[in-house]
Amino acid sequence: MPVAGGLSVSMTAAPAGEGAEPQRLAFEFRGHGSEFFRIWIVNISLTILTLGIYSAWARVRTKRYFYGNTYLGGHPFDYHASPLRILVGRIIAVLILLLYNLTAAINPGFAILWLLAFVLALPWLINSSLRFNARYTSYRNVRFNFHGTYGLAFLAHIGWPIIGGITLGTLIPLARRARDYYNINNHTYGGAPFHTEYKGWRIYIAYLIGVALVIALYVGVMMLVFGMYDATHPAPVPVADTGPNHLKLPDTTPPQLPWWYYAIGYLVLAGVTVIWLSIRHIVDTMVFNLGIGNATLDGKHNLQSKLFPPTVAWIKITNILLTLVTLGLFYPFARVRFARYEARRLGLAAASDLSEFTSETIGNTNAVGEEIGSVFDVDIGL
Amino acid sequence: MSMLRGNYFHPRASRFEAAEAHYDEGTRTLRVVRGDGTIIDQAPARAVRPSLRLGHLMRHLAFPGGARFDVAGNDDVDAFLRAARMRVRGAVIDRLERSWITVAVAIGLALIAGYLAFALGIPALAQSLAERTPPSVSEAIAGQSMVILDNMAFSPSQLPAADQAKAEALFARVAREGKLGAGAYRLVFRHGGSVGPNALALPDGTIIMTDEMWPYVKRDDEILGVFAHEIAHVDRRHTLQILYRAAMVPAIIAVISGDVSQVTSLSSALPALLLQAAYSRELEQQADDDAAVSLRKIGADPAAMGALIERIEAVLCGKDGCGPSWLGSHPEGHERAERLRHPRQ
Repeated sequence: MPVAGGLSVSMTAAPAGEGAEPQRLAFEFRGHGSEFFRIWIVNISLTILTLGIYSAWARVRTKRYFYGNTYLGGHPFDYHASPLRILVGRIIAVLILLLYNLTAAINPGFAILWLLAFVLALPWLINSSLRFNARYTSYRNVRFNFHGTYGLAFLAHIGWPIIGGITLGTLIPLARRARDYYNINNHTYGGAPFHTEYKGWRIYIAYLIGVALVIALYVGVMMLVFGMYDATHPAPVPVADTGPNHLKLPDTTPPQLPWWYYAIGYLVLAGVTVIWLSIRHIVDTMVFNLGIGNATLDGKHNLQSKLFPPTVAWIKITNILLTLVTLGLFYPFARVRFARYEARRLGLAAASDLSEFTSETIGNTNAVGEEIGSVFDVDIGL
Repeated sequence: MSMLRGNYFHPRASRFEAAEAHYDEGTRTLRVVRGDGTIIDQAPARAVRPSLRLGHLMRHLAFPGGARFDVAGNDDVDAFLRAARMRVRGAVIDRLERSWITVAVAIGLALIAGYLAFALGIPALAQSLAERTPPSVSEAIAGQSMVILDNMAFSPSQLPAADQAKAEALFARVAREGKLGAGAYRLVFRHGGSVGPNALALPDGTIIMTDEMWPYVKRDDEILGVFAHEIAHVDRRHTLQILYRAAMVPAIIAVISGDVSQVTSLSSALPALLLQAAYSRELEQQADDDAAVSLRKIGADPAAMGALIERIEAVLCGKDGCGPSWLGSHPEGHERAERLRHPRQ
């Protein structure tokens, strides 16, 4: 392969060619934990020094780092949002967060109003966020875009979950699929649509595996709890009748519990949390593989996703534990670690050399919706 | 550096070809040329925007027509840009990010600033907000809280009238020392149920004592201490302070970590919880200290309250106390008793 300017490209750089050979392109993440650590820590310090204003630039640098180090077929992605837009959105978002905390504490009635407002705003927040991120992302000089509408977003993110709830959970997998369909099928690259589709029974299998794991966890915990209770709770001891004020003291004293009872209690709680999170990651990964793995671009280029659920759970859990133990310093390494793994397991079976795309004309977009959405942890990541 | 090799992407297209970028000093233009010398694109150097340097990311030059020229090798690019008299923006920050010394300084700065913000900044801000909050807000919170407590935890008191009268008389002795005047506080009784022996203060001056507390009291000074402690909570507006602190913690975490979604993730929920517990212990200790001062003014012994606390904890949790202090909302029982026996001024 001819190498141009130190780049390694996996296809011949033929001028204006329509090379039509299908090929499998690999994703690759070329970032390093140590490199991102330095960027991340400088981000934090400058954010502190500027009392938060630099945070918008920090966010753009972080996204640029992750997108820019993600390569497909030897070319990187790019993120080019303007930090100023993000700053405006961010200020508004933090104000809303403060306002919500204060008014909800003063009067629970406000919390209900906020909830209502939030539910109505959610489709707009989601669309806004997906659109902002899509439009300022590009690959090989061509931009992505997002075309979701309020109505469709409402159906996918609110309507379907309600249906899932009404049917006592039996339709939740379909609700999840509807949401993923909405998120993926409204994205375009250079005007060409993404499309994903798969049979409903496949997502049911993912959820059934999750349910089975949860039941196993529940049974295990119950056995442990009852076992411990029996071991440490002898019958309580009756006590003298009256106390100093001539009133009856309680009939019995509670048993003296050994200190390690509490220690094991906390450990069990921690362990259950970890296992519960792992189960969630396992199910989420299977659903992710279904959504992305069955997606096509322009009807002819096929995305592939082969993340292995237990590995994802392992990486994510150990990341959390290491981050806690290092007081947060491991966080940048954690992110790079996962990005590396994820990229390795993604691929694209391209029907051409991908040189047939051109950007749509897109105006400027504001980041308010995205920032508000991320403040309330609107989870729209795919 | 007079020439860069890279990939030229046609305007707004994914189509590209290997090419070279040249800078023409005479006309101050940037020219993109193929290997055989044909010109693919050119533009005034002023109109071409180079991307910011970041780590070892591939760099690119954005041409005004929507074309893009991708180049690897940051140092070469910087040299070329300088020769072309184009501004190399973002160089300072990039150099900061590449120097490990800066990183060490940055870590230190972050830790210090974090400590200042959480240990000093938030409490100070919360306190000044609490002092400026109008009484109607406190009344609203207290009203709501009472309703919730009565619905979920408490039932009507079963304490005999004689005992209630005695408690109220003792309460009046302490209430006179309160900052807001005796009329601002009132004592109410409830059956605590699973809450057990306890006393709470609501921000409007209502102090609740559960029936279960009364049998544990051996001397008047002990319950005087409890009342003084609760009145201190009201005087210092601790309920409001805790609310404000709790509201600010997520906002500060969001701003500092630069990643707003981290606020609810597990690895910051735990520190936030520990922080809240620490704040709570700090305020409980303030209330203990204030109570000791008021008690001495009316001739009562602060150590008595310590004895009461230890007695209650011994019955409820055993002689080893109720659990490690770094997790609890109150300082550890024996610690409190010690501090009340030997109060600092």
